[in-house]
Amino acid sequence: MASAAKRLEVLSGAATPQIAFDGVTLVLGGKTIIENLSLGVQPGEFLCIVGASGCGKTTALRLAAGLYQPTSGKVNFDGQPMREPRREIAIVFQDYGKALLPWRTAAGNVSLALEAGGMTSAERPARIEELLRTVGLPDHASKYPSEMSGGMQQRLQIARCLAQEPKTLLMDEPFGALDAMTRQGLQDEVLSLVAASGATVIFVTHDLDEAIYLGDRVIGLLPHPGRIGIELPVNLPRPRDQLSTREHPEFLRLRRQLFDFIKATEQ
Amino acid sequence: MNRAALLWRVASFAVAAGFVALWQLIANLKLVSPVFLPGPDRAWASLVRGFSSGDLWSKLAGTLEHMAYGWLAASIAGIAIGAIIGSSRRMRTYVAPSLEFLRPLPVSAIIPVAIAMLGLTQAMALFVIAFGAIWPIMLATIHGFAAVEPRLYEVARSLQMSRLAVIFKIALPSASPDILAGMRLSLTVALILSVVCEILAGLDGLGHWVLLSARAFRSADLFAGVILLGVTGYVTSVAMSLAEHRLLAWQAAQR
Repeated sequence: MASAAKRLEVLSGAATPQIAFDGVTLVLGGKTIIENLSLGVQPGEFLCIVGASGCGKTTALRLAAGLYQPTSGKVNFDGQPMREPRREIAIVFQDYGKALLPWRTAAGNVSLALEAGGMTSAERPARIEELLRTVGLPDHASKYPSEMSGGMQQRLQIARCLAQEPKTLLMDEPFGALDAMTRQGLQDEVLSLVAASGATVIFVTHDLDEAIYLGDRVIGLLPHPGRIGIELPVNLPRPRDQLSTREHPEFLRLRRQLFDFIKATEQ
Repeated sequence: MNRAALLWRVASFAVAAGFVALWQLIANLKLVSPVFLPGPDRAWASLVRGFSSGDLWSKLAGTLEHMAYGWLAASIAGIAIGAIIGSSRRMRTYVAPSLEFLRPLPVSAIIPVAIAMLGLTQAMALFVIAFGAIWPIMLATIHGFAAVEPRLYEVARSLQMSRLAVIFKIALPSASPDILAGMRLSLTVALILSVVCEILAGLDGLGHWVLLSARAFRSADLFAGVILLGVTGYVTSVAMSLAEHRLLAWQAAQR
């Protein structure tokens, strides 16, 4: 298992970080959003970022994506400075309805990423079918996003991101707008997709249970300006399970610790 | 088509037939001198005569040609200029005031200028028609390009799409409902200006035919020309609707 080997590297700290924030400060419109953030994400690591609203979690993700440039400090990807977004870094936006092309079918939306990657039109159909099957949408290739439920649209966005064959997957509260059942199903699917591809993930959420359930490590941000307040390694066995993992004493301990932290930041 | 829609259609045809009948009645009663108002029977006879002799065909072809060339030129230029202005906020701020000055300018005021510069030529007609028809298309394109969902540009950036790919795969399709609506408005403008140019410059077309018929007091021919112009406007508008419906099938799915 390649991903298991990578996880070992993560834990031993042997690998160089895939994404590294080095003293990153971001000022937007005269307001300091992120201050002196230093953070390394190892290849194959699943990092979750939580925090009260307005603490700069999404901003941190956009810095990692190259959509923002830091005011001072550096963001490196594979040891190279990030100057612009790159195809190896895929972003799953929370607002799937805005991130999909309404005039393209499901297949067409996946195709967009393949076209951008320079895949020939002869190779595309097979790959599109494969990707749609991976995310559980094999029978919906010719539907428009507007004909699909929220959960299906988010799966479609994930399929498009997988089509980029990303080294890093950035997920911005991807399940925030979905109901609890859909959400749990998608959490497990993301875990198995990530395990299969070995991609590094930065996952932003305001759901603390979700962060612990998914992550190898959870970082809690303090607001105004955004900075790291707590860092918790999650030593829960994988594969994770919606029932037994959530009942695990370690899960409950981490959950308590994280809730106390968030409560303290809100005062 | 459902029952209610069918009934409405039948009713609308009945209204149209009623108007024709009324027209025939007025003509038969000679409420207006037959020199000025022919009945539908005479207008129809003139249409049939015109088409069988081939006269009307060539006039119709002339008008359609003026209209099509002007409209196509306006569409290409309007979409291109609109795209450039619409995709940059700075351009919009700089150019918008000039557009606001030019837009309400009646195109008829441009015709003498165009005649002075280009003479009574086809080029003059092309210029005038294109100038009049470009506004709805260009303004719609500017609006459409300015309203593209910013999230989609971020998706494009993360996919490292080329500038050209962003325009053709994101911005243009996103703006297409606006652009097509603008093109539909321009179709009517192009028809009107074709007729005006034919009348003013004596160019071959239905406008010229109508003018000559009126001068010669051939009221039946005059009405035949007017009817044919109405049919042209109607048919082109229906064709445009069908094209819109086809191109924007994804929007129907959205509702």
